[in-house]
Amino acid sequence: MRRRRFRPGILVAYAVATVATLASLFPLYWLFVISTKVPRDAFKTPPDLLYVPDFSKYLQIWTTAGFAGAYLNSIVVVLSGVALALLVATPAAYALVRFRVRGGRWLRLWLLLAYTTPEFLFVIPMYVLYQSVGLYDSTIGLAVIYQVFAIPFAVWLIQSFLGEVPRELADAARVDGATELQTLLRVYLPLAAPGLAATAILVGVNMWNEVTIALSLTFDNAKTVQVAVAGFRGYAAIRWQEMAAAAVAAVVPMIVFAGIAQRFIVKGLTFGAVK
Amino acid sequence: MPAILLLGLTSIYPTAYSLYMSLFDWNWGQRFNFVGISNYLDLLASERFRTAMWNTIVFTAGAVSVEFVLGLGLALAVSRLSVGRGTVRTLLLVPLMVGGMIVSVIWKVMLDPTLGIISFGLQSVGLPRMGFLGDPGMAMATIIMIDAWWQTAFVFIVLSAGLQALPLEPFEAAEVDGASSFQRFRYLTMPLLRPTILVVLMFRTVDCLKVFAIIFGTTGGGPLTTTESVQVFAYRVAFKQLNMSVSMTTMVIFSVFALLVLLAYQRLLPTEERVS
Repeated sequence: MRRRRFRPGILVAYAVATVATLASLFPLYWLFVISTKVPRDAFKTPPDLLYVPDFSKYLQIWTTAGFAGAYLNSIVVVLSGVALALLVATPAAYALVRFRVRGGRWLRLWLLLAYTTPEFLFVIPMYVLYQSVGLYDSTIGLAVIYQVFAIPFAVWLIQSFLGEVPRELADAARVDGATELQTLLRVYLPLAAPGLAATAILVGVNMWNEVTIALSLTFDNAKTVQVAVAGFRGYAAIRWQEMAAAAVAAVVPMIVFAGIAQRFIVKGLTFGAVK
Repeated sequence: MPAILLLGLTSIYPTAYSLYMSLFDWNWGQRFNFVGISNYLDLLASERFRTAMWNTIVFTAGAVSVEFVLGLGLALAVSRLSVGRGTVRTLLLVPLMVGGMIVSVIWKVMLDPTLGIISFGLQSVGLPRMGFLGDPGMAMATIIMIDAWWQTAFVFIVLSAGLQALPLEPFEAAEVDGASSFQRFRYLTMPLLRPTILVVLMFRTVDCLKVFAIIFGTTGGGPLTTTESVQVFAYRVAFKQLNMSVSMTTMVIFSVFALLVLLAYQRLLPTEERVS
């Protein structure tokens, strides 16, 4: 460690950190404030700093503009999408780790290409395809198309977690007569469980927040929460309070999940380019 | 492996289909004719497409620079904190977990020229009312600022991890030799951090090129076409004009462009970090 001496720079550092934290959180705090004020007061200037919060909008949103349905759609898309991704990615990652397939480089390349590809390159062909096979505007259609990003991401993340399990354990299990499947299920998965949970969370948060594809491949039946929040525009006027309440309801679970998976976020963000 | 099959289904097929259909003249619901490369020529000659390309490049250059400067400054500042470092990091990550459409809602509420809290703030310190998203001269800058609020945390958190992984010995030696903190930053931190910085810039650049939600949700590409990015353009052409072929042509050209940008970054990275 460098010696700790008092430097005025430290004060600047604290000031910068405080300002940045406030700037990051204030817009979300303000969203919450708008959602809990009655229409008459929401945009009053100067704003009331102290007010009696009104949570009625949080009840109303579930019965208006199809928001409850969209919320449910998003839950279905995320759960089925994450399940599909893990189901495909776990055996693939296991094969990469166990049989030392030299796929690391290809995997990173695949990931990077999936990350780089602009969504509309495949959204429009998928729109045409989905229209003809009846998957357009369906939650299952969305869950499938999200695999383009989810699978390479999940394979990469899971293989890095499985790689941390000592090989000797697996070899011992094989000597004792376990099949590869049993080795995966009984040896690897219990040990890598936190990593798998983190993968599920990171994949799920991405799916929940996705806008471009959801907007293009759904209309009404499978509308997701992101699209529905914008739907509080109404015909006559934007219903700001409802919109704000809906946005808060869509954001809070993600912040909670991200808090749980926080340890793994850096790894997940850069595909391990930075450890 | 089943993964390969699914990959084939979900990514190779659409790419091939895009390439194929970009050679036709097809509006949704109509018969189509083979037109060869004329879509490409028309598009490259189209004023609106070129504006969208230019807007996308301006947005990307602006957002990536602002986010990099803020993110690096923050990473350096937070790395010096002895109390509350973990808490600050956690709190700063919050905007990253907000979806693009909700980011749009938040900033539309805050930036409303008559009702928004930001207008009120500006007026109360004696500044004039500003149009922000509705002002053709300011809309792009405003969207860059919105993206900076949303994504600076990405740069911050990755550079923080990079800073933490730097070896301590060179810094100790430099301090003994009496190097100033600026010299340590210029000659030690920056060169040692270079691979991490490039990785961050690569991810942010590629992500910014794809910008869609925060433009679609705030200005929809307007006022006029001042904020129309390529993906917003492609959406409009496909789903408003129903001109599927032109939209696919746009995306073929643009994907090649994005790929070239990715390759350029790969050339800059040290060999062991490259994947291609």
